[in-house]
Amino acid sequence: MLITAAIEHLSAASTEGVLLTMAAVVMLLCAFACLGSKLFDRYVTYYGLQSIVLSFAAGVVALHEHEAGLWVLAGLTLLVKGIGIPYGTRHFLIERFALKRDVALSTGLSSSLILGAFLTAFAFLAIRAGTVPDALVSQATVPISTAIILLGALSMVVRRHTIAQLIGWLIIENGVFLGAITIVATFPFIIEAGVFLDLVAAVLIMIAFVSGLARQLAEASAPQLRQLSER
Amino acid sequence: MIALALIIVALPLIPALAAALTPQARTLGLISAAAGTGALAVAITLAIDLSGRHRVHALSGFIYLDPLSGFFLATIALVVALSSFGSAAYLRAEEERGELSPLQVRLYFIFFALFASMMLGSFETGNLGLLWVLIEASTLASCVLVGLEAKAVSLEAAWKYIIISSFGVTMALVGTLFLYYAAGNLTGSPTDHLTWSFLFAHAGALHHQSLRLAFLLVLIGYGTKVGLAPMHTWLPDAHSEAPSPASAMLSAALLNTGMYAIIRFQALTKPALGSGYASHALLIFGFASVLVGALFIVLRGNFKRMFAYSSIEQMGIIAIALGFGGTLGFYGALLQILTHAIAKAVLFLTSGDIVLRYRTRLIDEVRGVLTITPLTGAVLLLAALAVGGSPPFGLFLSEFTIVRAGLQRSSIVLVAALLLLIAIVFIALVGAASDMALGASPDRPTGGPAYAERSSRVLAATPLLAGLAVLLVLGVWIPTGLNTLIMHSIHAISG
Repeated sequence: MLITAAIEHLSAASTEGVLLTMAAVVMLLCAFACLGSKLFDRYVTYYGLQSIVLSFAAGVVALHEHEAGLWVLAGLTLLVKGIGIPYGTRHFLIERFALKRDVALSTGLSSSLILGAFLTAFAFLAIRAGTVPDALVSQATVPISTAIILLGALSMVVRRHTIAQLIGWLIIENGVFLGAITIVATFPFIIEAGVFLDLVAAVLIMIAFVSGLARQLAEASAPQLRQLSER
Repeated sequence: MIALALIIVALPLIPALAAALTPQARTLGLISAAAGTGALAVAITLAIDLSGRHRVHALSGFIYLDPLSGFFLATIALVVALSSFGSAAYLRAEEERGELSPLQVRLYFIFFALFASMMLGSFETGNLGLLWVLIEASTLASCVLVGLEAKAVSLEAAWKYIIISSFGVTMALVGTLFLYYAAGNLTGSPTDHLTWSFLFAHAGALHHQSLRLAFLLVLIGYGTKVGLAPMHTWLPDAHSEAPSPASAMLSAALLNTGMYAIIRFQALTKPALGSGYASHALLIFGFASVLVGALFIVLRGNFKRMFAYSSIEQMGIIAIALGFGGTLGFYGALLQILTHAIAKAVLFLTSGDIVLRYRTRLIDEVRGVLTITPLTGAVLLLAALAVGGSPPFGLFLSEFTIVRAGLQRSSIVLVAALLLLIAIVFIALVGAASDMALGASPDRPTGGPAYAERSSRVLAATPLLAGLAVLLVLGVWIPTGLNTLIMHSIHAISG
């Protein structure tokens, strides 16, 4: 068996198990809500909400594991992903450039939602087939986190605007983090902290690029990013 | 020895500190060149030391050095040193023309330093989580260099680069998590389960299903950084838009850093899954990359893009060599990593001279380089021949070794296909370079002198001549020390 730490044994029926499963489901709904929206402000709101739920999930795992590192991580998630990044994106990009409605969609909202549903079903079918042991909380959360990763990737593909792509990538990151805390809670804290630091640096650089592009192109949308191609 | 390892990471950071004090490209360039040379000297000392001793650990595997680390440290430090000289000359010329503001000069040297230091650091850790953190950090630093000119096109290239490679590297993180999960049934602390030497010692006991998934995700993830097709789409844009010394670092150093991570993971899969699993995956991605490289190199547009497609092709050849496996395959792969790194650094630095002189990146607008600047023209021709794999340069020897490995361990059809594609690339690359170097020179000089000052000219010529000299030596003679280092590196990853 692949078992070392307690969270991996946690049954889906225990209180923590139920809480974690619920948190995962809410996070999945946030990813869907983001996919079904057209307003930049909404993208950011749903991402912030998803991150707050993620920090709650990390708190549940921390309570169960009695690990200081996980508490710190839950706190950081709340502060940085739940509050900091949404505030920064709103303040430095959306309000500053008065961005409202995302028009750079390559696929209609309803078709992207249907595609998202297919991807979610695929994630469940693919992961259920024997990768994770039965009746454990990870059997519910790992397929959901895979689905969140796929939905994030889908919104990066169907959305062409740089802000939408940024949020899509952040949703993927949330999915990875959810999977990580429920399947490998013992992952060394120092590495998690390093991953977190990279994420923050990446977001800062991306915000700088998007605002540079927005200043030059009026609308920093990927269809306008067509200058580089094969001659 | 640990002290030497730390010095290698710290030395390249000195120009970043200096950039906080002065925005002068002249001073910063000289400091950067000195720091790069220093780091190279220390890296070579360390590599020689490592080729004798087998491994060094500290801080429960967070610092880990073996001959393979030594080989990569020396290779990348050489590229960093060559590019530092290139940066010193290029940035000074750009500053004199008023193309870059003082802030941009500062940013260039700060992020160049961080980029070099993070990359060198990634070869010194045995913790696969920390390896991920350092590789992602080096990507971020290099993104800033790509977007430095802050024009719409360079920001576009930087955006494409950061978004595609962040996505790719996230997949590598998921792969690393799966590897950690695959080690769940082993004894040892959680940190051990991410430590390469511990995992390598217990590789046979890793959970097979998770390991399979982990390797594929890591190959896709780090493969995005390496520029393996079909994850290569960021590469031509980033390479063509970055300032040329930064392109040299991207192509000759960053791609190899991704390859290093793939080699480490490949070594972990063999005991549990056999050599076939990783080999097949590497051969598929490798051939796709060589094919994409060959198809796009034939389009004669922008010469920096052309060199970038050549990098995709070269990385494909290295992946194929790793796929062939065996001592000969690994030997060829490592030698190719070294020789390609030097040749491509020289080629991109030369392209920087041409961009400064002609103010264009289009092949058809560049003619007569040999008459206008004889040195740049000669180096362009010779470096293109070297990258194409012509004797007497080092790449001929490494590609020859890879072909021998293929004949020994794989089918003749694959080898024939590889040779055909290499031939296409050779004709296209050398054809374009000879048109640029030899064609009739334009009536009016387009962009003015490349390097007005004598001292700039010396700085620009040093890395070109030094790189070509090393390539020539490696084409006729592999020094005993290098041979031992490569053989011990192969031993370190094959047990």
